[in-house]
Amino acid sequence: MTLAPSLFQRVTLGLLIPLLIGGIALLATAYESAERTANENLDRLLDAATRAMAEQLRWQQDRLWFDVPASALDTLAPSDSERVFYSLIGPDGTLISGNAHLPAPSNHSENAFTADTITWNGMTIRLGQRTVIPSGWTTPPRFELRVAHTLEARRALTLALFQGSALRILGLLVLASVSIVVIVRRALHPLRQLRYALRRRSSEDLAALTPPPTRELKELTGALNELLARLRAMHAEQQRFIGDASHQLRTPLSGLSAHAELALRETDPAKWRDALERLHGSSRQAARLASQLLSYTRLNHPDALEESTPLALNACAQAAVSSALTRPEVRRIDLGLDLCSPSPRIDGSEWALAEALANLLDNALHVGATHITVGTLDAPPRLWVEDNGPGIDHSLSEDLTRPFQRGTSAYPGSGLGLAIVSGIARAHRATLDFDRPEQHQGLRVTLTFKGAAHEVD
Amino acid sequence: MRLTRHLQRAGALFLLACALIGARAHAADIVLNAPSAPQQRLVIDGAIDPRLIEPVFKAFQRTHPHVAVHYRNRTTEALFTTYLADPGRQQSADLVLSSAMAAQYLLANNGHAQSLGDAIDPNWPEDARWRNELVALSFEPIVMVLRADLLPKGTPPTGHQSLLDYLSAHAKTLDGKVVTYGPAISDTGFTFAVQDARQSPRYWSLVKALGQVHAHRTASTQAMLDGLSEGRFVLGYNLIGSYARLAAEQDPRLEVVIPDDYALVVKRLAFIPRNAPSPNMARTFLRYVTSRPAQTRIAADGLIGALHPALDQAGTAERLLRTHPHLRPIRLSPGLMTLIDPMKRDSVVSRWRSAFNAAPSTTVAPNGPPPP
Repeated sequence: MTLAPSLFQRVTLGLLIPLLIGGIALLATAYESAERTANENLDRLLDAATRAMAEQLRWQQDRLWFDVPASALDTLAPSDSERVFYSLIGPDGTLISGNAHLPAPSNHSENAFTADTITWNGMTIRLGQRTVIPSGWTTPPRFELRVAHTLEARRALTLALFQGSALRILGLLVLASVSIVVIVRRALHPLRQLRYALRRRSSEDLAALTPPPTRELKELTGALNELLARLRAMHAEQQRFIGDASHQLRTPLSGLSAHAELALRETDPAKWRDALERLHGSSRQAARLASQLLSYTRLNHPDALEESTPLALNACAQAAVSSALTRPEVRRIDLGLDLCSPSPRIDGSEWALAEALANLLDNALHVGATHITVGTLDAPPRLWVEDNGPGIDHSLSEDLTRPFQRGTSAYPGSGLGLAIVSGIARAHRATLDFDRPEQHQGLRVTLTFKGAAHEVD
Repeated sequence: MRLTRHLQRAGALFLLACALIGARAHAADIVLNAPSAPQQRLVIDGAIDPRLIEPVFKAFQRTHPHVAVHYRNRTTEALFTTYLADPGRQQSADLVLSSAMAAQYLLANNGHAQSLGDAIDPNWPEDARWRNELVALSFEPIVMVLRADLLPKGTPPTGHQSLLDYLSAHAKTLDGKVVTYGPAISDTGFTFAVQDARQSPRYWSLVKALGQVHAHRTASTQAMLDGLSEGRFVLGYNLIGSYARLAAEQDPRLEVVIPDDYALVVKRLAFIPRNAPSPNMARTFLRYVTSRPAQTRIAADGLIGALHPALDQAGTAERLLRTHPHLRPIRLSPGLMTLIDPMKRDSVVSRWRSAFNAAPSTTVAPNGPPPP
C-alpha cells in the first residue's frame, strides 16, 4: 500500500526549498563580498610595502642605492606565516635585488600600483608591482618593484568576515524553517481536529458537524454537512419505505387471519369455499406485494442488472401478454399486442423487463381498464402499455414513481409498481414517460431505450 | 641568477678574509657510528662549531643507539648556495642547521624546506618556529668579552652607552686593542650591525668611536677570542655568547659581559631540506632535541641555551629573559631576508665605513645618503 502524498509535506517543502535556495545564494554572495573586502584591505599592505621600498631607492653618484627596509617585508606577513617575496627589476628586465625573481602581474600599469593573484613555482601568491623612478638629481631609468605574499592572511580575513554574515544568515534560515514547520502544522490542525471528530462519531450519527473557524474548512464542512443531510434524507426515506411496506403487508396478512377466523365459525361447506376463495385472494395479494418488494430491493442492489443480454422487445411483449392471459380477471378484458416489425433489439435483463411489464399491466388492471395494449416501436426502441382507464393527473407524474405514492385519482394497489418500473427504466438507462393515448382517455406508459446491441453507450 | 652570483661574490670575499685573518678552522666533521644494529643514518649539514653541538649528538645517540650520526661541518655561505640550488637526494642532508638566520629563513621562505610534521614539542615558543618549516634550536646572547686584567683603570663597560663613554675616555690606551666584527667581511657581523642600528641611532656614534681606536675587524667570534686570549686585544664587541662562554671556561681571564641596556640574541635555525633522504630521521632528532629531558641537558651544558618554556633553570632562555629584561631576540620574520640583500649590504657597509673612518670632528648622521 503506497502512502498518499502528504499535504503537510507538500506545503512545508514548497516553502522550505525556495528558502534554502535563497539562503545558499545569500551565503555565496556574502562569501564573495568578504573575499573582495579582504583582498582590497590586504592589497593596501602590498601597496604600502612598495611605497616604503620606493622611498629607499636612490640614484646617487651614478649608481643605484637600495636600502630595503625590513619593516616593509614584515608588514607583508600579517599573520606571521606568509611567504614573502620581493624583486627589484631593472629597466632591461633583469633582477637587480630581491629574494626571488617575481614575474610581472598581467594587469600592470605604469602609473599606479596593481595587484594580481597568480600561481608561481607551485604556490598561489598575490603579486603587486609599482614602477619607480628613484629620486636623484639627474633623471635615472625606470625600475619595477614587485612584492608578493602567500594568501594565509587573506584567507583568514575572508573567513572572519564571512563567519559574521554566515552566522546571521544561517540563524535567519533556521528561524524561518522552524517557523514554517510550526505554523504549517498549526494551520493544518483544524483538519486533524475534523478527522478526529468524524472518527469519534458512532456509525449511526449523521448529525451536522460544527464548522471550524477558518473559511476553507467552513466550506469543506458545509459540503460535508450537505452530504450528511442527503444521507439523513435517504435514511428517512428508507425508514418510511420500510414503514409503508410493513403497513401494506399487514393489511392482507390480517385479512388472511380474519377470513380464516370467520371460516372456522361456519359449518357450511359452501361458506368455507367462499372463505377459502377470499383467503386465496388475500394470500395472493400478500404474495404479490412480497414479490414486488423483493424486485424493488433487487433493483436497488448495485449489481442488479449485471447480466445484460441482447433481447428482442417483441418477444418480451409477447411473453408478458401470454403470462397475463393466464390470470382469470384478464379473460373479461381485451388484452392485445401492437408490435412493429422487425423487432427492436436492446441489451437488457429479461426478468427485469418482464417484471416491468407485469407491473404496468397490473396497474392497468387495477384501475379497471377494459382495453389494454402492449406494443413496441423502433428508432428509438420503445416498449409501451396503453389502457383506457381513468388516466392520471399529469401534474403529479413525478410523484407517481415514488414508492407508495399514488395519483389522486384511483390507483389502488400497493403503490410500488411504478416505482419498480421507474427503477428498471433507470437501470436500462431508459426514460419513462406518461402520456394520454391519442384516441381515448386513459394512460400510455412508454419505456424509451437507448439503442441496439451494437451501439456502445 | 644574479642573486646567487652576488651572494657567491660575498661568500668568496668572506673565505678570503678568513684566510687573511687566520681564523682557526674547526672544520672537523662529527661521525658517530651506531653502537647497535640495525643501522640507520642521520646526516646533518651545519655551520656550528662542532664543540657546541657534539654533546647534543652524543646524548641523542645514547637514547637512539641504532642511529649513526654524521655531522658535516660547512660554512654558512656554502650551505646557502648548496641548498638554494636544491641538491638531489644523494647530496642533501636530512637536516640543515646554521647560525645564518637570514639565509636559513630565505631558504625556507622560498620553498626549499619540508614540513617538520609533529616533531617539535607542542610547547615550543611560537617565536622559535616558523610555518612548521623552520625551528630555532638555540638562544645565544651577543656579548662583550673583556680582559679585566689588561683593561685600563676605571669601571669597565657594562652596556652600549657605557662602552661608548669608555672608548671615548680611554681612546689612547685602547688604540688597536679593541676587536669587533667587520660587517663587510662577515654576514654575522653585518646582521649584528643592522640590528644594532635598529636599536638606536647612537649606534653610529659607537661605530665612530670604534674607528677612533682603530678597532680590528674580524670575520668570526673565534678569531676575536683567540686574540683576546693571546692578549692582542683587551676588549671584544659583539661576540656570540656560546663561544665566549666556551672560551671563558678554558681561560678564566676572559670575562663575558651581557650588555645591560640591550642585548641582541641570535637563534640557530634548522630545517629539513626538500630532498632529504631520511626526513623522518631528522624529525626523530628534532623530537628528541626539543623534548624536556634533552633541553634540560642542554641547559646544564650551558652552551647553546635551552628554549623549552617549561624550564627556567640556569642555561635556559626563560632564565635569561628574566634576569636580563632588555634582551632583544632577533625575530623570525620576513624582514630577516633584507639582511642578505646585496644592495642593502652595499648601503649599510658604505655607511658603516664612513662612520668608522669619520674624522673626529664630524658628526655621524643616522640617516641620509652616504657621503662620497
